Amino acid sequence: MRYALSKAAWYFMAFLAAVVLNYFLPRLIPGNPVDTIVARMAQGGGSEGEARQQMYQTFLREFGLDRPPLEQFLNYLGNLLQGDLGTSFGNYPAKVADLIAASLPWTVALQLPAILLGWILGNWLGVLAAYRGGWVDRWAFLGFLTLSNIPYYCLAILLLYAFSVALPLFPSFGGYAPGTTPHLSLDFILNVLHHYTLPFLSLVLVLIGGQAVGMRSMAIYELSADYVHYLRSLGVSDRRIVWSIFRNAMLPQVTGLALAIGSLVGGALLTEVVFSYPGIGSLLFTAIRQNDYPLIQGITLLVTVAVLAANFIIDLTYGLIDPRIRSAQVGER
Amino acid sequence: METLLSVKNLCAAYVQGGQRVRVVDGVSLELRRGEVLGIAGESGCGKSTLAQVLALLARPPLWVEQGEFWLDGTIYHLAQEHRLSRELRGCKVAMLPQGALNALNPTARIREIALEVIRAHQPKTTPQEAYARTQERLERLGLPVRVLEAYPHQLSGGMRQRVVTVISTLLNPKVLIADEPTSALDVSSQKAVVKLLRELLEQRVIEGVIFIAHDLPLLRNVADRIAIMYAGKVVELGPSREMVEASRHPYTKALVEAVLVPEPYIRQRRVEGIEGTPPDLRAPPPGCRFAPRCRYAWARCRELEPPPFGDKERFAACWLLEGMSA
Repeated sequence: MRYALSKAAWYFMAFLAAVVLNYFLPRLIPGNPVDTIVARMAQGGGSEGEARQQMYQTFLREFGLDRPPLEQFLNYLGNLLQGDLGTSFGNYPAKVADLIAASLPWTVALQLPAILLGWILGNWLGVLAAYRGGWVDRWAFLGFLTLSNIPYYCLAILLLYAFSVALPLFPSFGGYAPGTTPHLSLDFILNVLHHYTLPFLSLVLVLIGGQAVGMRSMAIYELSADYVHYLRSLGVSDRRIVWSIFRNAMLPQVTGLALAIGSLVGGALLTEVVFSYPGIGSLLFTAIRQNDYPLIQGITLLVTVAVLAANFIIDLTYGLIDPRIRSAQVGER
Repeated sequence: METLLSVKNLCAAYVQGGQRVRVVDGVSLELRRGEVLGIAGESGCGKSTLAQVLALLARPPLWVEQGEFWLDGTIYHLAQEHRLSRELRGCKVAMLPQGALNALNPTARIREIALEVIRAHQPKTTPQEAYARTQERLERLGLPVRVLEAYPHQLSGGMRQRVVTVISTLLNPKVLIADEPTSALDVSSQKAVVKLLRELLEQRVIEGVIFIAHDLPLLRNVADRIAIMYAGKVVELGPSREMVEASRHPYTKALVEAVLVPEPYIRQRRVEGIEGTPPDLRAPPPGCRFAPRCRYAWARCRELEPPPFGDKERFAACWLLEGMSA
């Protein structure tokens, strides 16, 4: 219990630091959000200098950008405490929370299955390669290494080119066909899945590679452990031994899984950008281009919270999985 | 006494990168029912490799080149072409390894390990049955039953080694091959393990033990007979007491003298170490393999390999003994 409390305090400090950074970093981007908006509006209707100045002042006041920086910050903190993430500049007057809520499901639906599948397949293939050894292992390892070292966005571009441009099997952008509105029907679901395939593949393949590389070396280490020899000397079958190895080599991989799930809300930014997928990554990308401070803050805050929460959960649950760490925490012999 | 296990002309070599190093070279041994046979020697003389082969665990790069393995009425051919079934291991011969902490899966409870071992041979066993059997065994041997729920790291070193001994013998193997089971333990834990082995023999759980050690005084207390290995060969064999008090082979004598025993008569003497190191087995010396380090060696020793002098019960392979025995 003491352990949990001290950990919680520690994570709270990290959270505070992150809030401060989240607030000030976007404001260091050169440019002014109001400039962008006013310029865009001016393009539409050719307003004159006086009216334009007026508009500029109105927006500055509306967004609170005319106040001293410290006051702005305190205002932000006050709103945050009430659970209000503010109003987007770029999509004024949409609420930041609503914008995020609209994009988050797309990101989660894209990434959660990709992470889980990539993790399970990757670990399984890693153990298999280690156990088989010989040339199977050599070629498999080469494959894993190649996959894991391709930056995921490069793989995304390659897939996009191969299966959407050169061989037009899949659509090249979006989460569903343009012109349709999301609704529940078989047609729409098939349409979504069709758009889903390429971004999903680009993520899964890279993940499989990365997990398999890690798992393979863990498993090779475990294979030479004395307990493996001992079980073998007592006639335990190889299948059962591989299962023991799998369980033990899995422990460090669990951390990787939790971290991946924690950071997934940030979106595979570049994947979403490459495929113009309507998720959090695309949203953040637009927000940064428009200097949309509240939206950037909102998204980075969400990512921070998710990563911290994932870490916290790992810290608390790791002991449940590994008895050695559990006893170190409790202090038993 | 009746023979339980006998091996004849056993040869095993490590093969790697085209090089062949014969580490066990023509070893013949006999283990009798109810007996503890000790095998001693310096490190690097082939003891542990012999243990691997006898426990049917040889796998590349270790190759068994030849050897007949007679166990309780059945002959097995050990040379690698003959695949021995997995079922023999643990059931007929079992290994008791050194370093019990690493021998136990660190994330499994003792009862889970016991279940795994029993199920390897009797796949239909339920966890309850396995638990009951292990519990009964522990009680019969006077060990606490609570260890079943413990993880390996929660047990003391001595207890761990005894638990490993119990797990190794769960399936009542005929022969237990103990490879330096006591070398990492303090004296009282050593005693406990030895006592446990004796008890297992008395209760007929196991029928014979091959006890490998580098510690001659310990072996003297544990074993009924001792075989001394040097550079892959058995150089002397005999009843334990005689081996220590009236050894014939210069190597055995040197081993006995090299031991530090805080007894008055020894304290007054200089402890003689053995000069040099065992020969490089990639190119063993012709003649007697101990000759280069032997202070009695003469021309013949360096040319001709000495045959065993004596009888099956008590022999030593040294030219000095030629003509002495009749």
